[in-house]
Amino acid sequence: MNVEILAAADYSLVTVEGRVDTTNANEFEKSMLSVVDGGATKIVLDCAGLNYISSSGLRVFLIVQKKMIAIKGKFALCCLQPEIKEIFDISGFSSIFSIYADKEAAIKG
Amino acid sequence: MKNRTLAATIIRSVLLFCIGIFAVIFSIYYYYTRETIKETTRENAIFLANNTVNQIEQVLNPIEKIPDIIARMMESSFLTEDSLIPFLQSILKNNKTIFASAIAYEPSYFPEKGLYYAPYVFRQGDSISTTSLGGENYEYFFMDWYQIPKMTNSSYWSEPYFDEGGANILMTTYSTPFYTYKNGVRTFSGVVTIDVSLEFLKQIMSKLKILDTGYAFLISRNGVIITHPNQKYVMNESIFSIAKANNQPGMRSVGRNMVQGKSNFASADFKSKFKSGKLWINYISLPSSHWSIGVIYPESEMFASLRKINIILMLLVVFGLSLLSVFITRIINNITKPLKLLASSARLIASGNFNVKLPEIKTHDEMEELCDSFIYMQKELAEYIVTLKDTTSAKEKIESELRIAREIQMAMIPHIFPPFPDLPQIDVFAVLKSAKEVGGDLYDFFVIDGDKFCFAIGDVSGKGVPASLFMAVTRTLVRSISDKETSPSVIVTSLNKSLSDNNESSMFVTFFLGVLDLKTGLLKYCNAGHNPPVIIHGNGEVTMFEKTKYIPVGLFEDFDYQEISLQLEDGDKIFLYTDGVSEAENVDNKLFGDDTLMNIVSQNAKATPRDLIHRMEEEIATHVNGFTQSDDITMMTIVYDGKHNRS
Repeated sequence: MNVEILAAADYSLVTVEGRVDTTNANEFEKSMLSVVDGGATKIVLDCAGLNYISSSGLRVFLIVQKKMIAIKGKFALCCLQPEIKEIFDISGFSSIFSIYADKEAAIKG
Repeated sequence: MKNRTLAATIIRSVLLFCIGIFAVIFSIYYYYTRETIKETTRENAIFLANNTVNQIEQVLNPIEKIPDIIARMMESSFLTEDSLIPFLQSILKNNKTIFASAIAYEPSYFPEKGLYYAPYVFRQGDSISTTSLGGENYEYFFMDWYQIPKMTNSSYWSEPYFDEGGANILMTTYSTPFYTYKNGVRTFSGVVTIDVSLEFLKQIMSKLKILDTGYAFLISRNGVIITHPNQKYVMNESIFSIAKANNQPGMRSVGRNMVQGKSNFASADFKSKFKSGKLWINYISLPSSHWSIGVIYPESEMFASLRKINIILMLLVVFGLSLLSVFITRIINNITKPLKLLASSARLIASGNFNVKLPEIKTHDEMEELCDSFIYMQKELAEYIVTLKDTTSAKEKIESELRIAREIQMAMIPHIFPPFPDLPQIDVFAVLKSAKEVGGDLYDFFVIDGDKFCFAIGDVSGKGVPASLFMAVTRTLVRSISDKETSPSVIVTSLNKSLSDNNESSMFVTFFLGVLDLKTGLLKYCNAGHNPPVIIHGNGEVTMFEKTKYIPVGLFEDFDYQEISLQLEDGDKIFLYTDGVSEAENVDNKLFGDDTLMNIVSQNAKATPRDLIHRMEEEIATHVNGFTQSDDITMMTIVYDGKHNRS
């Protein structure tokens, strides 16, 4: 797993690559929380390089989503690979996350 | 590399270094000492030669004066012809060194005395005899001793010669011309001679002490040997004949310098038959007779003192270096003694004996520091081992507790099949394989109100103890809620509310719950984010349930879950599973996948629930091919046998 964080003026762009599973979900959680606690009001998570996500990883997504809702911020996902999108669909998460096809739309939305 | 000790290594380096330094110092010392000895010898040689020359001159100079005086007396007519012989006799009487004296006149100087007139006074034994030289056999005015002074108008020392007729001793003749006035004109009239024994030269020369075996020799102006320790050379050889006989061009050039009256002190580049070894020579000429004295110095004796000092120095150095070696060995041994003790202690420690007593080192240096570190390490190791033992036993304890937890967890889910022998309308089979000791998957089924079959399958996010606890809570809540409820949506909504309340850890459960009316075959279900189950129709048709739009439970407490109804026909089966099945991975991270799952279900559409699940397990095992199971695997198959209602 590889996480890169890029803070822009009005949003923070996080790029996650590789696999997010039980072994590194904690690390991913820390990275994401550092962005949230850093005061970001809009987080765009680019999942183009995300190959696999376990339920532990989904939990991190949910934590971020909950926190962003609490501060009335926005958490946008984009560029999900079909397999990942499938997991979101199966678990019903598609209905609670803002999912965009590309990065520009996610930043604008 | 066998047992090369530290001491040996250091000694070798130090000795090499010392020897190098000593070699440099010694070379410099040797060079300067040699130069000094050379200079001292040179000064000594020059002094010696000059001294000898003086001694010889002291003898020869007064002798030279006598003929000069006689000549002047003749010239001034002070001496008359009659008084010549008595005068010469008195001279011989008074001068022991004079062997003979003559006054030789020009031919027919006194016409009345004939052609030859040369009165000659000489010693014969202890007496003094008189005779007259000249005759047909000895025309003296053609002799060198007469001709040369006459021609050069100056005195002349003859080449030394053996007086074979007389005393048979080495002689030389000093002759000086005299003049008389004839008709008022100063005319050469004859030669006054004095014969001198050269025996005194032998004495002077033999008295010279040159080192141990050095010697001096005297050559005439023609290079003839006058004195030499080797008597055979005297008057028989010249320096040039010796040089030629022994093929020594160096000696020849020295001889040439000597007869030319030069003086020098130098290393002789010739070998002497008389004196072996390398030689040095000093030569100087005698001012009066133009003879030359040569002094020979054997080099071995010249530098004998230096050689002696060298030997002493070498012995001192060898002794000093040996002492140094012993000293270094002792120091190193003292230093490394604790190391050796430490090394043997270290072996004992390595073999597991942590209580071995380490050597006490009180050297107040790095060695003590090392020993302290060692003691510290020993202590730490011992503590570490204790901790490790504790940790290991704690871990074993946890593992055994986890095993027990797993047994409890497994006991929470039904695992007796067939579960309802008295309900022929329904058959169920299920398995749960945790990836860890305890897992987060769950399944459950039970009957409500006698004819409502409730079944559920779920997957808690994450794994291990937290997931298993959450699973236990979920399972307990489901049982308690469904005690008085039969609506899946109400049960799930209620479950979600309970789980979401104070769910700080944001754990969640994907959950599928169905309630099948055994009498009518009507299935009501609610899918909270779980993998859609597969329905296998009695005719072998296989379809997947629609994807849910409801999120897993435990996230948002006021989420509104709805239920869906589906009419089951006789023989319809429902295959439920968790993502551990569809996402079972092999070593290449390739997932088992929904398509494979559907294919296997299709191929085994007619199989019993037990066979279908076992078949699926085999296929999963083949797919992962020994790769570590990363997620819990749970499967459940339900068969609705509606025909039993009609019978």
